[in-house]
Amino acid sequence: MTGDGFEMTGKVQISLRQFTVLVMFYSIGTTILVIPAALAATAKQNAWIAAFAGWLLSLIITALYVKLGSLFPRRSIVQYAALLTGGWIGKPISLLFIFYSFVGAATVLYYMGNFMTTQVMPETPIEAFIVLFAGLVVFGLRLGLEVLARTAEILFPWFVVLFVVLTIFLLPEIEMKNIRPVAEIAFKPILSGAISYISYSSLPLIVFFMIFPANLNRKREAGKAFLIGTLVGGIFVIIVTFLCISILGADFTERNMFPSYALAKKINIGNFVERVEILIAGIWFMTIFFKTVLYAYGFVAGLAHLFECEDYRPLVLPSGMILAASSLVVYPNVVYMLEFDSTVYVPFSFAIGLALPLLLLLVAGLIRKKRNH
Amino acid sequence: MKNNDTKAEPIKEELKENIQKIKQDLGGSDDIIIREITFGKDDSAHAAIIYTDGLADKKLITDFILDSQTQKSYAEELDREADRDNLLEALKALALNLGDNKEIADFRSLYNAILSGETVLLLEGYSVGIAASTRGWKDRSVSEPVAQSVVRGPQEGFTETLRTNTSMIRRKIKDPNLWLETMQIGKVTKTDVAIMYIKGIVSDKVVEEVRARLDRIDIDGVLESGYIEELIQDEAFSPFPTINNTERPDNVAAELLEGRVAILVDGTPFVLIVPTLFISFFQTAEDYYQRADISTLLRFIRFISLFIAMVGPALYIAITTFHQELLPTQLLISLAAQREGVPFPAFIEALMMEVTFEVLREAGIRMPRPIGQAVSIVGTLVIGQAAVEAGIVSASMVIVVSITAISSFVITGYSMAISVRMIRFVIMGLAAAFGIFGIVVALIALVMHLCSLRSFGVPYMSPFAPFVPADHKDTIFRLPHWAMSTRPRLINQRNVNREQTSKPTKPADRNNQGRR
Repeated sequence: MTGDGFEMTGKVQISLRQFTVLVMFYSIGTTILVIPAALAATAKQNAWIAAFAGWLLSLIITALYVKLGSLFPRRSIVQYAALLTGGWIGKPISLLFIFYSFVGAATVLYYMGNFMTTQVMPETPIEAFIVLFAGLVVFGLRLGLEVLARTAEILFPWFVVLFVVLTIFLLPEIEMKNIRPVAEIAFKPILSGAISYISYSSLPLIVFFMIFPANLNRKREAGKAFLIGTLVGGIFVIIVTFLCISILGADFTERNMFPSYALAKKINIGNFVERVEILIAGIWFMTIFFKTVLYAYGFVAGLAHLFECEDYRPLVLPSGMILAASSLVVYPNVVYMLEFDSTVYVPFSFAIGLALPLLLLLVAGLIRKKRNH
Repeated sequence: MKNNDTKAEPIKEELKENIQKIKQDLGGSDDIIIREITFGKDDSAHAAIIYTDGLADKKLITDFILDSQTQKSYAEELDREADRDNLLEALKALALNLGDNKEIADFRSLYNAILSGETVLLLEGYSVGIAASTRGWKDRSVSEPVAQSVVRGPQEGFTETLRTNTSMIRRKIKDPNLWLETMQIGKVTKTDVAIMYIKGIVSDKVVEEVRARLDRIDIDGVLESGYIEELIQDEAFSPFPTINNTERPDNVAAELLEGRVAILVDGTPFVLIVPTLFISFFQTAEDYYQRADISTLLRFIRFISLFIAMVGPALYIAITTFHQELLPTQLLISLAAQREGVPFPAFIEALMMEVTFEVLREAGIRMPRPIGQAVSIVGTLVIGQAAVEAGIVSASMVIVVSITAISSFVITGYSMAISVRMIRFVIMGLAAAFGIFGIVVALIALVMHLCSLRSFGVPYMSPFAPFVPADHKDTIFRLPHWAMSTRPRLINQRNVNREQTSKPTKPADRNNQGRR
C-alpha cells in the first residue's frame, strides 16, 4: 500500500470510464482546432457532412483496433509485433510505431506553440510555450498512466461545460445560408474530407495500443469503451465543424488556420460576453495536452517495451527534451506544415494506423490457421 | 545506551537502596515526593510511596493510600492475613482500592509510572512494586472550539488531555465496537498516542497501516499532532495536507462512522483523521446540521472561494496584461484610467499587495492581543486608502486582493487554506509570463499532482477520480440524510450500509397507509 511509487507500467490498471475519457480527449485533441479548415478545403459547405462520414469511417477503424487488441489482452503492440513476426521483423515494425508516436508528439507540440505565437501572444518566442508545455508533459508522464487517466476524469466535465457554453453562445450567430446548398453532395470531396478526418482523428488512435487492452481493468468490455470514446469524441468535432461552416462560411473556414478559434471570437452576448476566445482556447489547451501526453506515452512506453525496460520513467526526461527540441525543427515553417499535413501526412498516417494493424491481424490469422491444421 | 540499561534494572528487595537509586536517577527533583511509611503489626512493614507533585491527584492519594484510618483497618486486615506469604498481593487487593493498579518490576516502568501521574508503592523485602492510577492534574476545561466554530451544533472542543478527549468521543458513540489503542511515542517525551476506530466499519488494512506507520516513528519528542502528521503522511513533498485535523468531537465521531481512524495525541486538542480526501477540507460539521439544500449552496460557495483564492489575482494579471479584449470596453477604460498613475506592471503590483496582506495576516496571529487594534487600523489604511492615493497600486487591485483574502478564509480546512495561499503565488508568476495559457498549464499540473496523491492507500481525489457515482451524495452536493444510505466506498468496502430510513412522507400519505 505504501511503496507503489515505482509501479511497473504493465501493472497499472485504469478503469473503462477513464479509458473512454482519454480516448475522447485524444480524438478531440488538435483535431477540433484544425480539422474544419481541412474539411472545408475539399468539401466546402458540406464539410460537416464530410466530418460525419469521417466519423462513421472512424468507427470501422476503431472496430479493427478492437479486434486486434482482443487477440492480445495482456500485451502492448510492441510486444506482440515481435511475438507475431519474430524479432528481426517485429522490432523494426515496432520502431515504425514508435517513430509515428514521436513525430505525432513533436508536431502537436509545434501546433501548440504555433497557435500561441500566431494567435494569442505574438511577442513571446515559440520556445517558451513549447518548453513549458513539454515540461507539463514530462511531469504528467513521470506521474504515470493512472494519474493521467484520473486527471482526464476530473477535467472532462470542465471540458464539456465550456464546450456547451461555447455552443449555446454561438447559436444566435448561425446563418443557415452558409451551409446551403446542402444537396450539392459530390462523393469525391466528401470522401477525401472523410479521409483527412480519419487521418487526423482516428488513425492516431493506434498509440492506444500501448494501453489497450493490457492496462484496462475489465478487458472484456474494453472494446465498447474504445468505441464509445471515439463516437463521443467525434460528435464534438462534428458540432464544431458545423458551427464553423454555418457561422464563418466555407470560404473563411478554409483560409483560416485555426477556424474554431476564430469562431469563438464571434461570441457576443449583450455586448458584455464578447471576445472570450482565450477562455475557449483553455479547453483546447486541455485536449491538446492529452493528445501530446498520449503520443509521448506511446513513444516512451514503446521504447521501454522495445528494449524490455521494466519502467519507462527513466526515459521520460530525456525524451521530453528531445521532443521539445525536435518540435522546433519538425516543421521549418507554417507553409511547410500546411503542405506536409495535406500531402505527406495522410499516407503516413494510413501506413502506420491502418496498414500496420492490418498486417499484424493478417499474420495472426495465418498463424492461427496453421496451428489449426 | 548505558543510561537505558540502568533504567531497565530490576527493582531490588531492599527499600533503602531503591529509594536511594530513585533519588539519584531523578536528580533529587523537588517535585518527586517520596514518603516512607510503616504499618502492620508492631509497625513491622516498611513501605515507600512515590509520586509526582502536580501530576498525581493528592486527594486520591490521601484518601486511599495514606489515610491513617484506612491504614489501621488495613493493618488489622493484614494481621489477619499474616499467614499469607505475599504481603504485596494482600496490599494490592485491599489497600489500593483504586480503579486501576498494576505490578511493576523494573525501574524503567517505575519512572514511566511516576512521571505520568501514577503513584508507586514499594515494599521492604519485595522486588516488585505497585503502580496505582492516580492521574489528576490541572487542565483546561472543555471549551468552545476556536478554529472550527459553528452556528448550529455542539459547542464543545477537545482539550489537551488525552483521556478527556477519548471520553468525549465515547460519549458520542456508545458502541462496544469503538476500540481504542494507546501507545507511547517519543523516546524522551513518552507522549501517549491513541488510535480510535469502530471495529467492523473501519478497514482493517488501514488500521494495520496506521499502526505500522506509528511504530516506525523514532523521535525524541512529540509535542503536537503535527509531528505525527509529518512523520506518517504518504507524500513527503506536497503542498497539500493528506491528513486532516479537527478539534471537534462531533467531527471525529462522524469520521469514525465513515470508517476512518482517529489519531489522538496527548497534549493537543487537534486530532488527526486518516485517510483524508481532498473533499474533506471543504466540508464542515455544520453541513450536516443545516438542511441539505442550504448546505449544498454553502458548499458551492466554498468551491467558488477556492477558485478565487487560487487564481483570482492570477486572472487579474493575465487579463490586464495579455487579454484586455475580454473586458467590456467601459470596464477596460475605467481600469486603464486607474492604472494610469501606477508605475508597476500588474504582476509586481499584485505581488506587493499579496505580500503585504500575508504580512498583516501573520502579524494579526502573532502579535500580543492588546496591540491588535493598532495593527488593524494601520493595515486597513495601508492596504486601503493610502496605497491607492499614493499611486502605488490601483483601486481595482485592492479589490482583487481583498476578495482573494476573504475567499481563502472560507475554505474550512485551515491546512488546505494555507496550501492554496502558497500555490497562488506560483500561478501568479505563470499568469504574468504566459497569460491564460500559463494558468491552464498550472491548473493541469495541479490536478495531476492532486491525482497522484494518496492518503493511507485511498486516492486523494476520490470520488472525483477515480469516479465513484455513489459517493457523490456527499461531495459537492450534500443530499438529505435519508438519501445518504451508504458509507464512502473507497475507505471501506465491507460495511457499506449506513441506514435504512426512507424518505419522510407527508402526513396524508401516512394516513392512507394507516387506513390500508
